[in-house]
Amino acid sequence: MVDATLMAPRRRRFSLASFLDGGGFWPAVPAVLYLAVFMVAPIVTLLAFGFVTIDRGTVGEGGFTLAHMAGVLSDPLVWRLMWRSFWIAVVSTTLTLVFAYPVAYAYGHLKGIARTLLLVAIISPLLTSALVRTYAWIVVLGGRRGLLNQTLLSLGIVDQPLQLLNTSTAVVIGMTQIHLPFMILPLLAVLSERDRRFEEASLNLGASEVSTFFRVVVPMSMPAIVAGFALVFAVSYTNFIIPQLLGGGNYSTLAVQVYEQTIVVLDWSRGAALATLLLSTCFLFVFAIVALGNCFTRWNEVRR
Amino acid sequence: MSVLRQTSTAGDRVARAGFIALTAFSVLLLVAPSLIVIAISFEPRAYIAFPPSGFSWRWYAAVFQNQQLIDSVWVSLRISVIVMLICLAFGVPAAFASVRGRFVGKAGLNAFLLSPQMMPGMVIGIASLFFGAYIAFRASDLMLVLSLSVFCLPFVVRIVMARLSGLDPLLDEASANLGAGKLTTFRRVTLPQIAPAAFAAAAFTFIEAFDNVTVSLFTSDVRARPLPVELYYLVQFDSSPIIAAISALEIGLSFLVMLVIAKAVGLDRLAR
Repeated sequence: MVDATLMAPRRRRFSLASFLDGGGFWPAVPAVLYLAVFMVAPIVTLLAFGFVTIDRGTVGEGGFTLAHMAGVLSDPLVWRLMWRSFWIAVVSTTLTLVFAYPVAYAYGHLKGIARTLLLVAIISPLLTSALVRTYAWIVVLGGRRGLLNQTLLSLGIVDQPLQLLNTSTAVVIGMTQIHLPFMILPLLAVLSERDRRFEEASLNLGASEVSTFFRVVVPMSMPAIVAGFALVFAVSYTNFIIPQLLGGGNYSTLAVQVYEQTIVVLDWSRGAALATLLLSTCFLFVFAIVALGNCFTRWNEVRR
Repeated sequence: MSVLRQTSTAGDRVARAGFIALTAFSVLLLVAPSLIVIAISFEPRAYIAFPPSGFSWRWYAAVFQNQQLIDSVWVSLRISVIVMLICLAFGVPAAFASVRGRFVGKAGLNAFLLSPQMMPGMVIGIASLFFGAYIAFRASDLMLVLSLSVFCLPFVVRIVMARLSGLDPLLDEASANLGAGKLTTFRRVTLPQIAPAAFAAAAFTFIEAFDNVTVSLFTSDVRARPLPVELYYLVQFDSSPIIAAISALEIGLSFLVMLVIAKAVGLDRLAR
């Protein structure tokens, strides 16, 4: 082993060889430049467009103005929609966690073909278009002939078809199901590699399975819960496809407003101001979730 | 939970049954919608019903006779192959620097390379559209390729990075000790080891670009819409099972991609 390190060539020259060695920064230079031009510059433009007046896609007269930002922030509709976006994201993310956790937990206890099949069930939605999966919910929830209404009617649970599609409930249901894999994967990574001895110790010390689960397993997976929650919250908060398709024509959220101002109304200044608001509040909420999560994690560590 | 248990309380048994029921329901929730879509795609009548009232290939035939749809599939295929190649070309070397690099600010580089993931697709789409307008460049195939490649680059970087950091550096040293030059070592030792990961990353990027609607809605050419954008409008204005047929075909494609990834690196590696 010592010989190997001694004999390994140590010369570093600016050459093909030093590139292949991979020790330098410059293999990343093309990607960094690419992102700088095609991501950073566009994002800066987007942020800047909220502070100037845009007339048919070009910067109009008047220069810097706070009018659009002020217009957005003083609009009660915007606040109402932001509130709705927030609550829909919180509710659907919480539901996602409730449904995802058992699946991630079960994965660690399965073997062989069952384990593989479960993994296929988790990964295949991830590779299927979100649009296709939203469409599936239109089929299930939609109208009188919707699958869910048919089932409920035939079972006699309801005697009138329920109004499911074009409600907040439909949006929450769709988001919850569509974002399930995003929550399962971080949980699965942590839960399937956890140290089972802690649980055995807890059980041997006389704790019930229920309290072992809630006081040993769940606290140990707290970092993954926080990561999954933050990720799913962010994608739910900024999703505009699901509210549009499952919420119906008049249904709107902050993200839907951004889409409509940019593509339908073509008021780019307002669109940019709304997008800035969406992005900054999203980061703020995610930051709060992570901070809160860390708080809980530490609290558990102290208590343990 | 089969560990050293002496007794299990009634509460535990109820909780366990509830837990298993919840797990079963969640798994059903994961797969049922896709299966329902596949089932109704074989509906012989002109409206959606479940279970389908019969079996026919009618709506699949309708997909292949719909020139607008076929055109959009070609647009999407072309775009996603180019996006895939761009992401590989920029992402694989970047992953190299991210893992093997010895320089100050490596953590910063990693964060920057993965930063497009922090942006919602819509923001990348609108930002590209606005930047394009600013430099007098309209939504087009080129803009779609550029915006989607920004969106997809982190997938390649992340998957290849994961593989690279799992490699044994001693193999490279062994190769050098046996007299191989840097180029030979790279070509015959390092590259074969990361090739499966790069392949899986390519497949993943392809399907993400092919399916993407959040970026594409803003940056695609209105006269040559890619499939997801076409489908987005179709879902809103058409209620025939033709959408179910397209969806079933897309689900089939995603299964194909999953098989490719499973064959190349194994599915559980994608889960990490």
